[in-house]
Amino acid sequence: MPTSHRRARRRTQPARKPKFQADLAPVEDTTVRALKQELQLSSNSDFLSEALALFQWAVSERRLGRRIVSESATGEKRILVLPRLERVAPSVALPNVDIDWTEKELESLAKLASTEPAKPTPALVRALKG
Amino acid sequence: MSITIRRPEESDTVEAFDSGDYALDNYLKRHAWTNQRKSSIGITYVATDESAPRAVVGYFTLAASSVHRDSMPAKYIRGLPPYDLPMILLARLAVDRRFTGKGLGRALLAEALKIAATASEQIGCRAVIVDAYPRAVDWYKTYGFVPIEGGNRNSVRMYLDIRTVRFAR
Repeated sequence: MPTSHRRARRRTQPARKPKFQADLAPVEDTTVRALKQELQLSSNSDFLSEALALFQWAVSERRLGRRIVSESATGEKRILVLPRLERVAPSVALPNVDIDWTEKELESLAKLASTEPAKPTPALVRALKG
Repeated sequence: MSITIRRPEESDTVEAFDSGDYALDNYLKRHAWTNQRKSSIGITYVATDESAPRAVVGYFTLAASSVHRDSMPAKYIRGLPPYDLPMILLARLAVDRRFTGKGLGRALLAEALKIAATASEQIGCRAVIVDAYPRAVDWYKTYGFVPIEGGNRNSVRMYLDIRTVRFAR
């Protein structure tokens, strides 16, 4: 076979997909089968792909400090709390805002930010330790 | 007086809140809860007294902000980290007039600074910034806030290095 044909054949070969193997307890296996049937997923790969998308979304939401809530038709709310998800949640999530600065303020800010921090005042120490 | 500072709840009552400042009162009554739920503008913490645990007697609001490194004068940015300057904005702090002079403002400020110090370990923060009314500038100075010169608004922008807060804890 000419070299150019061999190269072309190599290029068209699909990339090897990583394999994922897991040991499941009988009850988990039953759950997976039931969910696959309910969701009309024919393969374990499709099942994993769907589950991964949901898990990835949950992690990204919690990472932003957002809670994951389910709400019934009557308005009853339940909050999803998973210990592993809580590991990625920041204890303080602050929204970002833009504020206006004058050029002189920016100069003053840069001066302050580029110097060593001041010692805490007695009032600050009392407030934070009191 | 036994004060609790916590995140607001829908059942809290705010209608009687009167700090003597319309803008601060109006924010608490009309916008704080909405902004809290949307989590888009600021995070508010409220103070309640044990005598009426649902009545808000003080509050503060925090938000994150930053200044682009390139927007600062070149002669100073050499001493700064090579990225935008992250800060926490103490956007509002108010105390009901019935509770002034009892240390509630100090307790609210202390809680805000503790939260800022904690947040700084997670999201990065160089300083706490506040736009103080001129009448409150001296009060903030006692806690180490320094006026940022060159403003052209009715309030005075003030700066407190987060490392100073950490030293004080």
